[in-house]
Amino acid sequence: MIIEVTVDELAKLMKKAAGVSVDPTDLAHSSDSPFGTLGLDSLGLLGIVGELENRYSKPLPPDAERCKTPREFLDLVNTTLKAGA
Amino acid sequence: MTRRVAVTGIGVVAPGGTGATAFWDLLSNGRTATRGITLFDPAGLRSRIAAECDFDPLAHGLDPELRDHADRYIQFAVVAAGEAVRDSGLDSGREDPWRVAVSLGSAVGGTTRLEHDYVQVSEHGRRWDVDHRAADPKLHLAFAPSTLASVVAEQFGAQGPVQTVSTGCTSGLDAVGYAFQTIEEGRADVCIAGASDSPISPITMACFDAIKATSPNNDDPEHASRPFDANRNGFVMGEGAAVLVLEEYEHARARGAEIYCEISGYATYGNAYHMTGLTSEGLEMARAIDTTLDQARLDPTLIDYVNAHGSGTRQNDRHETAAVKRSLGDHAYETPMSSIKSMVGHSLGAIGAIEVVACVLALQHQVVPPTANYETPDPECDLDYVPRTARPRKLRNVLSVGSGFGGFQSAVLLTGPDGRTR
Amino acid sequence: MSTQRPRRAAITGIGVIAPNGLRADAYWKSVKEGLGVLDRITREGCDHLPLRVAGEVRAFDAADLIEERFLVQTDRFSHFAMAATVLALDDAGLGSGDPAEPYDIGVVTAAGSGGGEFGQRELQKLWGQGSRFVGPYQSIAWFYAASTGQISIRGGFKGPCGVVASDEAGGLDAIAHAARGVRRGTGALLVGAAEAPLAPYSMVCQLGYPELSTVEEPDRAYRPFTAGACGFVPAEGGAMLVVEDENRARDRGAAVRAMVAGHSATFTGASRWERSREGLAHAIRGALDEAGCAPEEIDVVFADALGVPEADRAEALAIADALGAHGTRVPVTAPKTGMGRAYCGAPVLDTAAAVLAMEHGQVPPTPNVFDICHDLDLVMSRARPAELHTALVLSRGLMGSNAALVVRRGGDSAR
Repeated sequence: MIIEVTVDELAKLMKKAAGVSVDPTDLAHSSDSPFGTLGLDSLGLLGIVGELENRYSKPLPPDAERCKTPREFLDLVNTTLKAGA
Repeated sequence: MTRRVAVTGIGVVAPGGTGATAFWDLLSNGRTATRGITLFDPAGLRSRIAAECDFDPLAHGLDPELRDHADRYIQFAVVAAGEAVRDSGLDSGREDPWRVAVSLGSAVGGTTRLEHDYVQVSEHGRRWDVDHRAADPKLHLAFAPSTLASVVAEQFGAQGPVQTVSTGCTSGLDAVGYAFQTIEEGRADVCIAGASDSPISPITMACFDAIKATSPNNDDPEHASRPFDANRNGFVMGEGAAVLVLEEYEHARARGAEIYCEISGYATYGNAYHMTGLTSEGLEMARAIDTTLDQARLDPTLIDYVNAHGSGTRQNDRHETAAVKRSLGDHAYETPMSSIKSMVGHSLGAIGAIEVVACVLALQHQVVPPTANYETPDPECDLDYVPRTARPRKLRNVLSVGSGFGGFQSAVLLTGPDGRTR
Repeated sequence: MSTQRPRRAAITGIGVIAPNGLRADAYWKSVKEGLGVLDRITREGCDHLPLRVAGEVRAFDAADLIEERFLVQTDRFSHFAMAATVLALDDAGLGSGDPAEPYDIGVVTAAGSGGGEFGQRELQKLWGQGSRFVGPYQSIAWFYAASTGQISIRGGFKGPCGVVASDEAGGLDAIAHAARGVRRGTGALLVGAAEAPLAPYSMVCQLGYPELSTVEEPDRAYRPFTAGACGFVPAEGGAMLVVEDENRARDRGAAVRAMVAGHSATFTGASRWERSREGLAHAIRGALDEAGCAPEEIDVVFADALGVPEADRAEALAIADALGAHGTRVPVTAPKTGMGRAYCGAPVLDTAAAVLAMEHGQVPPTPNVFDICHDLDLVMSRARPAELHTALVLSRGLMGSNAALVVRRGGDSAR
């Protein structure tokens, strides 16, 4: 099974971990916008990283919490998860 | 006429030794007291290092109640306050107790004890509906943050305003600052001021792990705390307490007390930016510095040493460097600025008071304590951080600054006997 | 400079989140009518504990006033404080949006219990699942400074920010701290306290207080000054006030609702209630002195009313010691018997009630108290109409602090 974190998933995580409501379609369209403009701060992103690490029992690289945009983040997360599959 | 505020006594419990003498010995020799955690088993944590106090409550003559039941941070505070009061020569029998105040800071208070008992009552985190029958009947003393100031006030017979201050990592600076204001405004003549924390516990280590604020240099604990160094990667947790006896200047002179120095300014602002994040400009900290200088009517060029917050996180050290440059201008490049957190770690709320005591000792000895472990310059941190070795220097006016979660930015100004002030 | 009148601290806004009312007007209606809202505790995981009765804040939805991104990273005590701040700012006409002069507005809160519910949840993750399950907000939600920090960030307030982590009397100390901030030059400060001590582990911690009432009948659990006094009942909630430089307030056309005229604090030892007589009397004298106020000018006293016989006696005697013969004639009230003691929040709620009482010309009653055994004119059963210019608010803490605050009606001329 190939695990992939989708934009939908990320939207749900943003809501759960950081209280940021964002429509998945909008998030897909703005996947190159900085997290900051979407209302997600550094602690929120750390929360999402922690959530994913626990869910998949796999550490993400330190760069994960430094990602600036949804696209950058999802690319890194999915590359990491695939590499370990 | 403005009331001046003198420092007439100091006491400290710090990693590497209890008492001001041992503390200054550590600082002036640039030794580090950071090591692998021994207070609990840190397996599984990202950061497993800390600066711990080798503190034996039996050795300090604490009364049996305090020795056997008080939280570690309370014991630290009572021992440090005892040293400070003895050092000041204050005779509590001769003081009007209503004119003696207490102002003590702590960031996390009794949380170490709270966690310890939580594990029992929750059956290791299995129950939300915790079982009260397994709890210590004195647990309320760990729950109430004001226990700190209350116990110390009781020990030393203070009946004036008694406050516990909890502004995160600036608690120690702010507690000294509130004490300064209390005396300046005439609400007390003497104030036992300082801070204490004993945060080396699973929950506190884990919560800083979660935000990757602490250093993961587990293999080299002695060199793990690296403020301002290009290879810094977070702070190293510490613990301890420091207490000062602050006194209205004429009151101290009238009883023939030896005066170390004066507290000549204090200010605090919020950055209104982020609970943990700092801007790279340092505007609010700079404003706190500017305000203390205004209070003392002191030109920035007369600052001889800056005792930095210097936690060793990437953002803090950059933020602080920018703030000091903003306030001192070109003079910043000629002013030594060091972080004792390189040696004694970051004891959260306590460290601000420990750093003020370090400033008092620096003024007394006319020596600037170093930043241990500083090796590789960071282009974003381009001031004189006093690498590794203490430095003799003419010190008259010394500034201690701090920054804490919640956005607090504080500064305390100390002026030696021949400093220019007012 | 020397000809300038000293800056004076005015109260220009009140925000209340209390068990008996959300918003100042609803709170005042309940207080004036002597409504008792003490009830069985319904918070999850608490019903097996030997503390059954408290003042719970119910029907409160923080999301009505605060953005979710602030709510996920904070405990209930900060939710209360942030919501009360929104109400206080609105009441003061300071509205929302970043202030034009951010350094001119500061924040001071008192905190006596911190983010206990949030902390317990994260402790459960740590000990039940492992350290990796502790979330990033534990570092900023549990500690006592959380509310001040979040209020400052949400409002863009960069002025002096402080936290007194105190026993109950800290609520008054915080107000005094803010008033001094105004005198020292800050334009306005948001000040107050809100607490959320009704979570399972927090309640276990409070069980050790010898002063805690564990009586199970809500209308009998908290009856200070009576022969049936059996301790105090805890509560959650609190209040935030806008304390502002009087001239700044008048210049912007804001209503000056009251003046913070005097304060003093003393310490006489934890649970040494007999000694609190001397400490409280000393604090009252200090507050009157700072206010330049004669004992006879006090029109109403908001009592600490702990509900422990020894403490009640000490308070009645302290009022007599400090106010002399006037002490037995001045109306005394303790609205908190209807809603419980919200630790540091309690004296801030009392201060809010004092301002509202002066505005409405009514001394509110002391719910559930009918037959007192001390020489006080305690207002019972129903509110008493009276022309009120000056109120004295008293508070003592379980760790030994005593504090007194004098507030004067806003419209009155300077004295």
